[in-house]
Amino acid sequence: MQTTQKNLGEVLFALVFVVLGVAGVIFAGTIEVPDLEFGMGPRAFPYIVSSLLLVVGAGLVIQALRGQLGDAEDGEDIDAEASTDWITIGKLAFFVIIHIVLIEPAGWPVAAAVMFIGAAWALGAKPFWRSVLIGIILALVLQYLFGGLLGVSLPRGPLLEGLEFLNG
Amino acid sequence: MDNLNMLMEGFATAAQPVYLLYALFGVFIGTAVGVLPGIGPAMTVALLMPITYSLEPTAAMIVFAGIYYGGMYGGSTTSILLNTPGESASIVTALEGNKMAKAGRGAAALATAAIGSFVAGTIATVLLTFLAPIIVDFAINLGPVDFVALMVVAFLTIGALLGGSIIRGMASLLLGLFIGLVGVDDTTAQQRYTFGIAGLTDGIDVVLVAVGLFAVGEALYVAARMRKGPIEVMSMGTESGNSAKWMSKDDWKRSWKPWLRGTFIGFPIGTVPAGGADVSTFLSYAAERKLAKGKNKKQFGHGAIEGVAGPEAANNAAAAGVLVPLLTLGIPTTATAAMMLTAFQRYQIQPGPLLMETNGALVWALIASLYIGNLMLLILNLPLVGLWVKILQIPRPYLYAGILVFGALGAYSLNFALMDVGILLVIGVLGFFMRQYGYPVAPMVVAMILGPMFEVQLRRGLQISQNDRSALVSTPFTWVVYGALILMFVASFFIKRAQKKMESVQLEPELEESK
Repeated sequence: MQTTQKNLGEVLFALVFVVLGVAGVIFAGTIEVPDLEFGMGPRAFPYIVSSLLLVVGAGLVIQALRGQLGDAEDGEDIDAEASTDWITIGKLAFFVIIHIVLIEPAGWPVAAAVMFIGAAWALGAKPFWRSVLIGIILALVLQYLFGGLLGVSLPRGPLLEGLEFLNG
Repeated sequence: MDNLNMLMEGFATAAQPVYLLYALFGVFIGTAVGVLPGIGPAMTVALLMPITYSLEPTAAMIVFAGIYYGGMYGGSTTSILLNTPGESASIVTALEGNKMAKAGRGAAALATAAIGSFVAGTIATVLLTFLAPIIVDFAINLGPVDFVALMVVAFLTIGALLGGSIIRGMASLLLGLFIGLVGVDDTTAQQRYTFGIAGLTDGIDVVLVAVGLFAVGEALYVAARMRKGPIEVMSMGTESGNSAKWMSKDDWKRSWKPWLRGTFIGFPIGTVPAGGADVSTFLSYAAERKLAKGKNKKQFGHGAIEGVAGPEAANNAAAAGVLVPLLTLGIPTTATAAMMLTAFQRYQIQPGPLLMETNGALVWALIASLYIGNLMLLILNLPLVGLWVKILQIPRPYLYAGILVFGALGAYSLNFALMDVGILLVIGVLGFFMRQYGYPVAPMVVAMILGPMFEVQLRRGLQISQNDRSALVSTPFTWVVYGALILMFVASFFIKRAQKKMESVQLEPELEESK
């Protein structure tokens, strides 16, 4: 069961390359070519890359259908035996989206702290108050380093209004 | 000698207190990220790209070079002391280093790794110093078709060697080339694949892609299959007492030759676009295993010090080697080099054969800072190793949550556009699936940088020859390069086969132990 599921996933992912290749070839034809252009022009390289993408993608689909699957990447923090935990991935993606939504109304530090706390919680950090503490400190330190010292214009947000040293 | 004068001037610059501080900052951060699993120097340079807004080029490049060298040192601490059995085969140092630590000789393993890295890093930097001007003299006469040939080699080797599966490496490479096409064409100013979306006109920023693949992709991937339970970091000394045994006289005797051999294996492999450090560590390990005699040979697989000394030296020498094509030809061959090239471009500096002429002071200060950085790293890694062990123990939820925050910061600070953070997430998800299905991500990043450069040279070459395609193989240099390419592929086929054999041999003793 597990293998067929992984099989399907790999076939679908390989199809992404095929689709990109097809789209690339189709839309390469719509790139405007200036009249004065001689030599290769702006279309040739997109055609080459897209058609190679198509060929390699097709090869990958065939491989995956035959059951020749790729080896999932190893890492020090990876448990090779564990199966993919989609819920945690969903939670992380959710908190990145919350971060995007919060940056402008609430300011970067608040958005960053919320994302840190949320992600740490999703990854199983305990106790909760410690994530909150680390998240707030990290967000403020980064805001100070990048916004205050390096002059990166990160929006401070209404909560920290008046703290000039955090200004970007 | 003129070059020596330039180098001395470089030292005069790099030895100024403020640049020493930048170098120290770089090597410190570099070691830290090298130690931490999940982040590497490429991602760190990408994340620190905002410093190019406020620092001058020399300072920023010194920081980035420090991170690059530091990352190579830090990695050894992790592979020696972190007890993650079964999955460390990809990191050659772990093969013997881990066993040494288990036998209570962790301190000796760390020492031979650090000193070996220093010896190799310094010798390789000397080689870089003398080789770079020679290559520049030669490269200055190369025409567009010659560069096309060089980049073809870079594409094929990066795609084929940076991962386990050639077809997956090529797919990753082509994806990078494709994303690199989005935006305005350099030569004709025509829009390509922008679909009228204003945000796409400038193309998709390579920093965004790098951070998305390395930071967000890695965080998502680890999140999906995180190792539960405590982090098992081994002690440096024996279990009973804390008298960590440093390198004995015998250890020195057994280490110095592997250091030198590793250096001369690593440096050449770094200079050719053969995928950087990984290949060199494997070759060095194989060489040491073969050359060891008597009871030392029997120790292989159970903690032979040569198996740590050689690969660690090789990987540092390769890191210096990678700087040769970067600084002399403007061709990046690893993801970190690609990020450094991006940093140059941020300053409107185009790396290539003219770099040493137009920005000589910068290049020589950078090279001088490599010597200084190596010395700093030796000091940071020998007495301060305890600090790095502490960093290794950071609870993983905080580590990966922090990586997400840094990634989002890097993405947002590019243009202060929310859409960039959105693209970051999309690329992160892509990076997740690439890891899940065994696609290497590094070729994609390198291809995004190399692709546009390749197209410009290719079109220039064909314009000069009035669209005659045979011009692409018209110079003796192109014959040599394409000939070497064929040879390299034949050789790499044998190397890969030997590597597979070695890995399968490596597993056997462990199986016996578990019985």
